[in-house]
Amino acid sequence: MTNPQIAGETPTPRHHPSPETLASFAAGTMRSGFDVVMSAHLQACAECRAEVAQFEQLGGHLITEIDPVALSESALAATLARLEEPSRPPPPRTAGGLDQLLSGARRRWVAPGVWAARVDTPSHHDDRVFLLRVAPGATTARHTHAGAEFTQVLEGALDDDGVIYRAGDFVELGEERTHHPKVHGSDACLCLFATEGRLVPTDLIGRIAFAIANV
Amino acid sequence: MSGDDAAGSAKRDPAELIRQVASGDRVAFAELFVLLAPRIKAYLVRLGSDPASAEDLAQDVMISVWRKAPQFDPSRASAMTWAFVIARNRRIDSLRREDSAVTYGHVPPDVEAETLLADDIVAGLQGDARMREAIDELPADQQEVIRRSFFEDEPHSAIAVALNLPLGTVKSRLRIAFTKLRSRMKDFQ
Ligand SMILES: [Zn+2]
Repeated sequence: MTNPQIAGETPTPRHHPSPETLASFAAGTMRSGFDVVMSAHLQACAECRAEVAQFEQLGGHLITEIDPVALSESALAATLARLEEPSRPPPPRTAGGLDQLLSGARRRWVAPGVWAARVDTPSHHDDRVFLLRVAPGATTARHTHAGAEFTQVLEGALDDDGVIYRAGDFVELGEERTHHPKVHGSDACLCLFATEGRLVPTDLIGRIAFAIANV
Repeated sequence: MSGDDAAGSAKRDPAELIRQVASGDRVAFAELFVLLAPRIKAYLVRLGSDPASAEDLAQDVMISVWRKAPQFDPSRASAMTWAFVIARNRRIDSLRREDSAVTYGHVPPDVEAETLLADDIVAGLQGDARMREAIDELPADQQEVIRRSFFEDEPHSAIAVALNLPLGTVKSRLRIAFTKLRSRMKDFQ
């Protein structure tokens, strides 16, 4: 089994995050954990990278227009005095980037042909970020999520209510919804998910599988 | 500061100042500080930081500006966009350091600090002027949600409370506003 890899630039993704989601990434206000799925899409999608850059430009415009708040009189002198001090070590970022983050996730088989792996990333207590690999013919548990769910297809293809999402595509669900995505085609499907709140499987097999995988 | 150029100092181009800061010019840094630090502090206060922390963090941002000035490339981003990205990333770093329950807004682990995501667009000052034009053309209520979405922590629910709107209305208004903005920006390209 190869380590999960982020899809390259080809084929060009056809399903993208919404504009407001791209903007929240640029603004730095995206729910943490979800940003990991977003960055997986950005690695695969030049179009969305360009849009995020435009929204960063919007950020530049907005701080130009903002009403300034004065600093204390000593602030400039204090800052000048600190210019040569050694830089603080940056907070730990994951060495090796997203690919390493994903390959470090521990896999648990949850059903024949299906494994899940929690991704170790800062996130809200009840949110979940995980990889799910489903062999052709196997099916994911029907589940409900309490809020938003982001999915980036890394390998293979996914059929969600008749819409086919292929490697590089991004699926954004904003609302509570019960759905039952299936593998499309003859290859295994590997996806990266972030869910707001824990998933609630709606059938017994799903409950067992999700309990085993702790997702 | 010498003081004899006081008349011109307020109008100096920030990109030019950053270029001088890159070569270790502390006078240019002081001018840049006067221009940027109060805006950065205002940005951080808007995002929920208390004034004392915002003041400290604004100074940290300015130290990052000093260190990173040699990497500034005006052909890729305007000075203000570059400064915004540094401030955004420092804020996220500080939230992470606190290791608090506040976990909004982490940058992805593989994006190099302060590297703008623009590979293939022409940004810079020209782009900023277009952005200004594009946003000015939007109806006032859409401008308002766009502004708030950059300046509120947990923006969707905060906007809903501030404007007394249902969450669904906020989400659809944001979608409409950003979709319009995006198509306006595309028209310019
Ligand atoms: Zn995309």
